[in-house]
Amino acid sequence: MSRTREAFVLPLLFLTVALLGGLRVADRIVLLPPPLFTLVLAFLLVGVLVRSGALAPERLMSAARSPLANISGAVVIVTAFAAATQAFNVAIPESGLPRLLFSVFLLVLLINTFAASPDRVRVLRSVLVIFGSAFVLKFIVLAALSDPAGGWLKRVLLAMLEGLTLGTMSQELYRPATGYLAFLTLILFVGALALLPSRPDALLPTRYDPRRGELER
Amino acid sequence: MRESTARTLGLVLAAAYAVFIVWLYVRQPQTVAEMTGALSATVGAYRIDDRAFADGLRFFRGDQFDAARLAFDRADPAHQDSRTQFYIAYSYYRQGWGRVYNDDALFARGLEAVDRAVAVAPQGRIAVEDPDLQLRSADELKAELQAGLRRELADLNPLKVFRQRK
Repeated sequence: MSRTREAFVLPLLFLTVALLGGLRVADRIVLLPPPLFTLVLAFLLVGVLVRSGALAPERLMSAARSPLANISGAVVIVTAFAAATQAFNVAIPESGLPRLLFSVFLLVLLINTFAASPDRVRVLRSVLVIFGSAFVLKFIVLAALSDPAGGWLKRVLLAMLEGLTLGTMSQELYRPATGYLAFLTLILFVGALALLPSRPDALLPTRYDPRRGELER
Repeated sequence: MRESTARTLGLVLAAAYAVFIVWLYVRQPQTVAEMTGALSATVGAYRIDDRAFADGLRFFRGDQFDAARLAFDRADPAHQDSRTQFYIAYSYYRQGWGRVYNDDALFARGLEAVDRAVAVAPQGRIAVEDPDLQLRSADELKAELQAGLRRELADLNPLKVFRQRK
């Protein structure tokens, strides 16, 4: 990995995600600090990245590197953790039943991914799907349900969920800019994850060998 | 560029950016004006618009409270000057004060403004030497606003109509 990427690109990308992750635009600008649970999710995600080889900590910090290079590597890991925390802050709704459901869903999904030990490419795809689906559910489906004016999507959803009261589903309504910023934040985050130094063997996808009955690279 | 120079520069940039982000989340500026104002206040370079403040004071003394607040907001767009915020809070108090009942919404906004004033005042202490005011400190003003928002039996006292606005 080039030193420019390690010293400048990755920390600044991750810090930008950390900045934008809590940004909500309503009548005023609000900066929401991450809930404690997002720390747990971020910790699990970093664990999944390390296990899959998408993040190779030994390429950022090791006895073979100079102290300055190790500090620089530590900054990448710490900022990646902060960015992961804020990415979950973007993805999880702020209140009510959806917050609980999203939190449990993401926790189970991450534990499942951790247990499955997929390779780097599959983990990055999985992260893209996790954050992409969370974005759609929060900023399109839930936002439509919470909109007091109510568009066609709200009518369709209400017809599908006949009998459901929206008291515990409604979320605080933000300006459309919040959704665009959230999208940008998640794209930056997934892009930065793809730039992380990976284990060399993790670049090869795993394949099932029917003769030996196990996964191999 | 040498490797150590590049890495040091990267660390300094990342540290400065991280400090800026933490500062933003702690201060919670709500507009760009508030953010730039709070930044300049941090380094002691924030100045209010004296002319707009004088206009606000003139409107305030003439009981034109809405106009006064507009002028005060122009004078202190970043809400970083404790004296201006004190006058904004006072304008809510005077406008919301009533002989029979107070306007709770205006008193609540006054309370928000006085809290803002205290938050940016050195050691949280505000004392304004203005002979036109009877409440010359943030503590007195805040207590008056809080008392106005409280519901109590004394509210039904008919002699209340003889009280004076401060």
